[in-house]
Amino acid sequence: MAFLQNVRLPQWLYSNLFDYEAEETKGDFYAFKFFELVVLVYVIQFAWDWGFYIQKISDVVLPLGMANYIDVSFMFHHNISLVNAAIMVVAGLVGFFRLNKYGYAVCLVSFHLHYISRYCLGEISHGSNLVGMAVLLLALAQWSFGNTKNMRVFALGMTYFYFGFGYTSAGICKLIATGYTWVDGSNLWMWIYERSVDVTSKQGFFEPNLLQEWALSSHLFATLTLLFGILAELTAFLIWFKKTRTFSVLILLGMHIGISISMNIMFMENIIIMFSVMYPWGRIIDRFLPSQAMGTHK
Amino acid sequence: MDLKKKTSQLLIGSFLVYALLVATHLGEFWPFSVYPMFSQAGRPWNRSLVRDVDANMISSDDLWKEVKLGDLPGEPVPMVPLGISQNDMANMVSKTKVWDSDRVLGLRKLFDKYLDEKIFLVFKAHGEKVDNEEEPVSVKFTPFILLSADTTIFNPNLDIQFK
Repeated sequence: MAFLQNVRLPQWLYSNLFDYEAEETKGDFYAFKFFELVVLVYVIQFAWDWGFYIQKISDVVLPLGMANYIDVSFMFHHNISLVNAAIMVVAGLVGFFRLNKYGYAVCLVSFHLHYISRYCLGEISHGSNLVGMAVLLLALAQWSFGNTKNMRVFALGMTYFYFGFGYTSAGICKLIATGYTWVDGSNLWMWIYERSVDVTSKQGFFEPNLLQEWALSSHLFATLTLLFGILAELTAFLIWFKKTRTFSVLILLGMHIGISISMNIMFMENIIIMFSVMYPWGRIIDRFLPSQAMGTHK
Repeated sequence: MDLKKKTSQLLIGSFLVYALLVATHLGEFWPFSVYPMFSQAGRPWNRSLVRDVDANMISSDDLWKEVKLGDLPGEPVPMVPLGISQNDMANMVSKTKVWDSDRVLGLRKLFDKYLDEKIFLVFKAHGEKVDNEEEPVSVKFTPFILLSADTTIFNPNLDIQFK
């Protein structure tokens, strides 16, 4: 990796993502801490939800991630998944309270093991990916910058970059796998029918809502719904730029709400994490605080 | 080291790791992903659904008959109260190519607590586009496997591979 010695991000990207020069205010500090808290709450939730579920599993159907190289079936017995859940939570707390600069890194390793054990039954779940990316970026920030103001700036900049990249790549995948006909409204009909089976299986019955009825009765409406979705994803790289970040996140939040209504799939983690990190909450908090500057502690 | 250099190295270095891992693992290496869900639009799909049937059904000639949603036998078995993920069920049933004793036990383990009192019939659901303005998507349900306290029976009419 010697070539990395000489690499530099283009200035337009660097200055939009990483503002190390700005003085850290109390609002910035509390807003970032809130973002970390949101991530930590999800870590705790996944740790125990998956920890108990893994004990019900007895076979690997689809190996994911490191499960391609290690047999994760040892996690299915003797409550080992619950021990891993405890490690995940403790390491997350160590990172959150700045007790050790490797806290989030240990949490991430444990989290990965948990994920590949939980999702080995044939399903790949994307709901936890943004939470995992947030833990990874917090780990990288804490490891590289220690517990300083620069950790916050770096973690946020990286989060903007990877969230923008992730959504844009989702849009590109659709164009590669299906092409421009992806927006054909009849494709939304297929997904609504598919989801009707899933919802029936989950809760015993399915009642289409108003948006689903409109989509099923109008090809044009269904096409416009899909068009909005793919445009929201393809333009998600606008998160990288300060001027368009808030707008782009608003569009993506709209897309997620649209998905939850039209397909009964709620990406709650994505919605809450994006909402907590992408808006300039620091400035809003500062308006209610008497003294704003934290002083720099690089 | 100056901040720009350090930041650039970390971002580009992590991005290369990201690209390498997703490129060599079909687009998925959690938490890295290119998020390919819903990318293949309009293709036929397979899901699953479970019904609670009574003992008389087992000897019925209609047990393994393909049906539509409104004609499903027995009572619905919602997965949420059982603590079972619908996606896990659907994928286990549709993605398993060869059924061995471990896989059968794995499926039974999901329903373990309930099979003493109940008989569950697991259906494969198949959806595809059809040329029909009234009903543009056809969904058919094929009985796949019957689970009871001491019995596991696969649909004899299907071409299922066993090991």
